[in-house]
Amino acid sequence: MNSYLYDGTADGLLSAISWILEEEADPEKVTLSERKDTLFEEGFTISTDAPRAESLFFRLKQHAPDAAHTLYSFMLAEKGEMETSLLHYVSLAFRHGDQVKGYLTHPAIRDIVNVAKKAGRELHRMKGLLRFEKLQDGAYLAKMEPDCNIIHPLAYHFSRRLRAQHWFLYDVKRRTAARWNNGSLQFGTIEQFTTPALSEDEKKVQALWQAFFKTISIPDRKNPRLQKSNMPMKYWKYLVEKQGE
Amino acid sequence: MDTKAKLQILSGAARYDASCASSGSRREGPSSGTGNTSTSGICHSWADDGRCISLLKILLSNDCIYDCAYCVNRSTNPVERASFTAREVIDLTLEFYRRNYIEGLFLSSAVMQSPDHTMERMVRVAETLRTEEQFGGYIHMKIIPGCSSELVRKAGLYADRISVNIELPSQASLQRLAPQKHKHAILEPMALIGREIATSLVERKVCRHAPRFAPAGQSTQMIIGASPENDFQILRLSQGLYKKMNLKRVYYSAYVPVTADNRLPALAAPPLRREHRLYQADWLLRFYGFSAEEILSDEAPHLDESFDPKTAWALRHPEFFPVEVNRADYATLLRVPGIGVVSAKRIVAARRFSPITPEGLKKIGVVIKRAKYFIICSGRSSEKPDQSPTVIRQRLLLGAGGETAVSAHPEQLVLPGLFA
Repeated sequence: MNSYLYDGTADGLLSAISWILEEEADPEKVTLSERKDTLFEEGFTISTDAPRAESLFFRLKQHAPDAAHTLYSFMLAEKGEMETSLLHYVSLAFRHGDQVKGYLTHPAIRDIVNVAKKAGRELHRMKGLLRFEKLQDGAYLAKMEPDCNIIHPLAYHFSRRLRAQHWFLYDVKRRTAARWNNGSLQFGTIEQFTTPALSEDEKKVQALWQAFFKTISIPDRKNPRLQKSNMPMKYWKYLVEKQGE
Repeated sequence: MDTKAKLQILSGAARYDASCASSGSRREGPSSGTGNTSTSGICHSWADDGRCISLLKILLSNDCIYDCAYCVNRSTNPVERASFTAREVIDLTLEFYRRNYIEGLFLSSAVMQSPDHTMERMVRVAETLRTEEQFGGYIHMKIIPGCSSELVRKAGLYADRISVNIELPSQASLQRLAPQKHKHAILEPMALIGREIATSLVERKVCRHAPRFAPAGQSTQMIIGASPENDFQILRLSQGLYKKMNLKRVYYSAYVPVTADNRLPALAAPPLRREHRLYQADWLLRFYGFSAEEILSDEAPHLDESFDPKTAWALRHPEFFPVEVNRADYATLLRVPGIGVVSAKRIVAARRFSPITPEGLKKIGVVIKRAKYFIICSGRSSEKPDQSPTVIRQRLLLGAGGETAVSAHPEQLVLPGLFA
C-alpha cells in the first residue's frame, strides 16, 4: 500500500489527488496525508501544482457537477485528516458520476458527504442568522464566527440580495473580510480590526427588532429546547435579538 | 403612539397566524433596489416558542369591526388598538431587511370599516414597496374575506404568496363563533386565486415576461380545538383544498385561549399534540401518497394520541408487512413507519451499488427504531418475524421505538356546552 504526502494546502491536496488518479492503478488502495516533517513519517511527497489542482476540479465539474459541489462544500469545512477519504471519493466520483452521493454504504463517501453537508447547512443557516449593523458612513457591517470557511459563497449570496448597499462581511476568527460596493465584490484579510462607529439610528432599529422578537413568540407555547436546536447557542453572540440574555 | 409601541401591539396580535414560510418563489433582485427571494426560503431567527421567524409578521391594524369569538382582536375584547401608516410598515420592512433580520413582510389586518377599505390599504403597502422602493424580497399577504375580486387580483401581482384563512373547518362553527364571516366569502377568493395562478403559469409559458401571480402559491390556516370538528373532517377538508384548489400549504394552529367566552372550550393548554398529529397526517397526504380515508374513517375519526398516523396505519395493515428493503419500490418504502422521504431516497440510491444489509441501513442514516418491526433487510430481520400488531403496539409503547407515548401534561379537550 503506497502512502503519499502533500503540503497541507488546498491546492496541494487537489494536485496530489490528480497525480495519484493518473499514476496509481488502484487509487482506493492508496493513502494520502499532510506532511508534518516528523522523524518517522513515511511516504512520497507530491509537489503542489495550482493549475493542475484547478484542472482536476474543472474536470470533475464537467463529469459530475453534484459531486464537484460536494467537494467544494467539503473544502469549506477545512477538515483535516480526511485526505484519504477525499481521494477515494474523487476516484469513485469519476467512476460513478453524480450517483456517487447515494453510495452511502461506502465509508469514504459517507465521511465526505457528511462533512460537506455540515458546511452546506452552516452556509444556509448563516444566510439567515447574519446580522448587519449600519455604520456612521452609511455602510453596513456583519461580523461572524462560523465553524466553516463560508465567507465566499455567503458574500456571493448577499451580492445578489443587497445590491444597492455598501457592505462588509468579517470573519472574526479567520480575519478574512468581504466587501461589496458599487457592484463589485472583493475579498481580503484584516490584520487589525477596529470596530467602526455605528450610525445614529442603529440602536433604535435594533431595539425595534428586539421588541418584535419578544412579542412574536406565543407565551403559552414557550419552548427553549426547540429554539436552541434550531438556532444553536454558538451563533447567539452576534444576534441582535439575543443580546443581554 | 410611537412605532415601537405599535409594533408590539401589532406583532403580538399577528403571532397566532402559523404561516411563516418564505419558500417557493425565486426572484432576482432589482439592481437599484433591495432584496431577492430564494426557492428554499430562509429562516432568520427562532422565537422563544421555537417557531421560525422569516418574515416581519404584523397586522396593519387590530381595530376590528368583527366579533369572532376565538380572536384576540375581536371588537368586544378590551385590548389596546393601534394602526400602522403605510410608511411605517414600509420603513420597518426595509430597515429590517437591510440588516438581514427578515426575508420579507407578512401583512395581515383586522377588518377596519369594511373588507374593501382594509384590503385597499394593505395592497397600497405592497404596491409602494414593489414599485417605489423597488423591494424584491418576499411578501405574504392575507386576503380579507369579502373584499372585491379586483383587490385580490392586485394583491396577487405584488405578493409572492397570498392566503385566505378558513379559521374554522365548518359552516356551522363559523356561524356560531364568527357570525360576520361566511363560507362563500372565504372559498370564493380561494377559487379565484387558484384560477389566476393557473392562468399566470400558462401565460408565462407563452411569454417569459407575463406578470407573475402569487408565484409562491396560496395557503390557508385552520384553528384546531376551538370547535367540535373531528380530525377526519379536518383532514378531508385539507385533502380537498390540496386537490381541488391547488393549495401549497394548510396550516393548523392549536387554539390558544385568548378570550373567555362560553361558546369556546376551556383548555388547560393549547392542544399541541393534536396539532402535531394533524401536521404529520398532512405530510402523509402531500408527500407520502396517503389519502384521508386511509388515515381515518367515520368509525375512528380521531388521530391516535400515542402513535403517529403512519404507525397507526401500519398497525391496522399487518398484511402489508414486512417490506424487503432491497426490493420494495419507493412508494412502498414510504409506507414503512420511521422511513421518511429522505431515508427512502437514500435506500433507493444506495442499493444501486450493492444490496443493503441491516448494518448498512444504519450506516446510511436510516433510523430503524420504529422501522425494524416492519422491514426485512437482505432476508434478515432484527426482530422476530410475524409478531402480531398487538405485540408490536406494546413494544412501541414501552419506548422500544415509539414516540413518547405519555404526554407530559393533560391535553384532553374539555368542551363544556359544545355538544349540547
